[in-house]
Amino acid sequence: MNALAQTRRRAELGLLILAIAVTGGAYTLASLGQNASVPANIGPFFAVITALFFGAHLAIRRLAPNADGMLFPLVALLNGIGYVFIARVDPALADNQATWTFVGIAAFVGTLLVVKRARDLERYRYTFLVIGLVLLVLPLIPGIGVSIRGARIWVALGPISFQPGEFAKIAFALFFASYLVEKRELLSMATWPKFRPMLPDLKHLGPVLLAWGMAILVMTAQKDLGSSLLLFFLFMAMLWVATGKAAYPLGGAALFGVAAYGAWTQFAHVQNRVSQWLNPWADDKGQLVQTWYALAWGGVAGTGIGLGTSDEAVPVVESDFIFAAIGEELGLLGGTAILMAYLLIVGAGLRVAIQSDHAFDKLLAAGLTALVGMQAFVILAGVIRLLPLTGVVLPFVSYGGSALVANYVLLALVLRVSNDNSRPKAPARREMAVA
Amino acid sequence: MDRSIRRLGAFIIVIFCALFAQLNYIQVFRAGSLNTKPDNDRPITQAFSRPRGTMATADGVLLAQSVPSNDRYELQRVYPEGELYAAVTGYLNRVRGATGLERAYNDELSGKTARQQVKSLGDLFVASARTGNLTLAMRSDVQETARSALGDQQGTVVALNPQTGGILALWSNPSFDPNGMASHDFEASEATYALLEAADGNPLLPKAYQEIYPPGSTFKVVTGATGVQTGQVTPTEPVYPTIRALDLPQTTRDLPNFGGSLCGGTLYEILAKSCNTSFAQMGIDLGPDAMISGSEAFGFNQQPPLDLPSATSRFPTDFEDNIPKLAQASIGQNDVAATPLQMALVAAGIANNGVILEPHVVDTVRDEDGDLVETLEPTVWKEAVSPQTADIMRQAMREVVATGSATRLQIDGVDVGAKTGTAQFGPSEPLQSHAWIIAWAGPPGQVPTVAVAVLVEGQPGASEQTGGRVAAPIAKQVIEQALLPMPAPPPAGGETDPTTPDVGN
Repeated sequence: MNALAQTRRRAELGLLILAIAVTGGAYTLASLGQNASVPANIGPFFAVITALFFGAHLAIRRLAPNADGMLFPLVALLNGIGYVFIARVDPALADNQATWTFVGIAAFVGTLLVVKRARDLERYRYTFLVIGLVLLVLPLIPGIGVSIRGARIWVALGPISFQPGEFAKIAFALFFASYLVEKRELLSMATWPKFRPMLPDLKHLGPVLLAWGMAILVMTAQKDLGSSLLLFFLFMAMLWVATGKAAYPLGGAALFGVAAYGAWTQFAHVQNRVSQWLNPWADDKGQLVQTWYALAWGGVAGTGIGLGTSDEAVPVVESDFIFAAIGEELGLLGGTAILMAYLLIVGAGLRVAIQSDHAFDKLLAAGLTALVGMQAFVILAGVIRLLPLTGVVLPFVSYGGSALVANYVLLALVLRVSNDNSRPKAPARREMAVA
Repeated sequence: MDRSIRRLGAFIIVIFCALFAQLNYIQVFRAGSLNTKPDNDRPITQAFSRPRGTMATADGVLLAQSVPSNDRYELQRVYPEGELYAAVTGYLNRVRGATGLERAYNDELSGKTARQQVKSLGDLFVASARTGNLTLAMRSDVQETARSALGDQQGTVVALNPQTGGILALWSNPSFDPNGMASHDFEASEATYALLEAADGNPLLPKAYQEIYPPGSTFKVVTGATGVQTGQVTPTEPVYPTIRALDLPQTTRDLPNFGGSLCGGTLYEILAKSCNTSFAQMGIDLGPDAMISGSEAFGFNQQPPLDLPSATSRFPTDFEDNIPKLAQASIGQNDVAATPLQMALVAAGIANNGVILEPHVVDTVRDEDGDLVETLEPTVWKEAVSPQTADIMRQAMREVVATGSATRLQIDGVDVGAKTGTAQFGPSEPLQSHAWIIAWAGPPGQVPTVAVAVLVEGQPGASEQTGGRVAAPIAKQVIEQALLPMPAPPPAGGETDPTTPDVGN
């Protein structure tokens, strides 16, 4: 390994040890808080997470030694804290989440193995488009599609059920990155209408719009408006990065406003969400009010892990509303730490994008990072009532296997890009940056 | 592209700052008001399942404790003495919150006062949370005497120590068993609550300090004291005319003495015989302003600083030129209304050289090491009248016992002063009244050590003798018990053993 790789991997190791220590400490505190005793399985717990995360670390050393050293420990920390809180609010789900973490790490390593260079994926542009659309449509097929809580986004194959939509987002990101790399010059030019050129040629914009429109439509049919918001934002962000033209995000925001209004008039549950957002106090046992009570009760320093009452007071606290428990028990300080973790992930991911030479790499890294950041923002905003609630979950933290595995694949892709752009080039171009 | 990426990054930072701002808003700025919202049950839930201190009387009888329970709350609050102290202890209920001392001293009981928390910083891995134990000023023997003396009659007994302000007994009938309300079976406790709410006589209301009644003739002590304090009345003058009824201006109805009897004379005579006409005249002569400020000097129109939430006794302030209203108010009728606690404080003020101390149920708060957390020192609340005035009024009240309407209160070897009262209420047919007596007592030649107020509700008729006949014997029993030395605490095993509480009586 070269000097840069050594530095980064060492830093990663150190941060990882810290993340494991924090997770282990939190796990112990949760048990102390709830039962006033050190958890019986603290030994095996430490052993398992150490094995998992060190295993992943070794894989990174082997497969992507030059990659950024901050991303994986941050993810490990979020995953660990998430696991501790899931175990604390609903111990029955802890085993599942542990299994999914294992699968996620395996998918992470698998992705690093399969994708030797991020650039290789550029060729499969339309393949990814098709994969994305198929994954989206899968839950609508009767027989294997399952409707849960009003949203038809799940697929049940035998004993396993998962959400293909989470993987579809990654497929779309790959498609958009590839397509926009080629077409971005053309998309930056306004060619029609002839009398006052404002928009790029339809034949360039067309396929993208079509693909995107279909995705949005499918999601709306599935009642998964949160994901359609994310996909929309992904599209806008990547267009913006690719072309640098402000018209795209601004026009897109306008379009989104129209679509949102349309959704509000058409869908009862959207109306519910909006009116709950504006005035939640009518339902004082409802999620939003209870979350505010939980957060206020935690105050600045929190009640201490295991000592809050969000596990009973807040509905769906294990997935969408996990932050209510975190905010109550870790307080403003802990909640802000979670915010910072996501910001650091976004920062590191975008830095990977900037450091890339190749346009595809840049776009891909930027798009995937934006996905994670926006998803965190949207659910946090919904939970603390900054925006209406949508049905997305907190990346890496919430209970949910498909999201966890998909996000680990996403992480692997970003690390792969990071490794690509940090590979030492000809000696004349020494890489100066350090982790 | 790099520039766009940087701007994207900036955008994400900005929206996360909005998240941070919102978190601050919820967890810092609005935290206080959110935590105290009535439908936020987190404070009560926390209080409900946390260790909580005990309550005990001055002579060591246990009134409230938390015992281990097998359900998820892990601790059950029990009240070993049941209904005897319900008005004081209150109860802790998950749905209804806390009442009585459970509410007023919630912070001390659960160890959350600043002082207790500072002390707990020392133990980082503490096995049990700090709590505070309340020791009341109340005496179990006086409380039990109050209950047995009142018997089945609906009414109230208040006894306190005029020299310290400590409450010795606080009993009203009917009462209720707080154990029913503290049950973890919330359906059952809600059913109990509904029954109690609908029951006769309002058992859930601590009438001793939260219900106001017309004080009737007992109020003449206030009128007389005001008269003496302003200098317009002395033991020898004026001499009020001996008449049957007072002719009031502005109305054809005149104000009669009880049963139309003849009544008049100097201060001691009119107090002993409880002359309506004389005191009405006194009030008219004093004028509304003097009467108002005289009553307020005794604590009327203000909330007594009892360490339980108490009602404000009322003396009207809207007389203008309404002479008949002033006349009636001077004899404790019309809009005048007082809690039994307030009338006991009147007696206590007269007894204690004109100074009314702050009444308090709790004496000290200690933590589990026995260290003092808080002590309620005697504090002056009102300097109602001068010591000279109080001296004169004490003598007047002695006459009431010696020769007047309260002869039943005579006790050998004890200096006793009292004033009876019969307060009409309700429609004039059939005639109904409350029987009152307020009194103070102590060893001769010293400042009295006990002041009582007794109210027995719903007596037929309205004769001046009613107060002396019905209420005085109760007051006598309570006074005699209170003057005895405090009994020794029960054996240590019974008080501190948490596993076998003696639930119910």
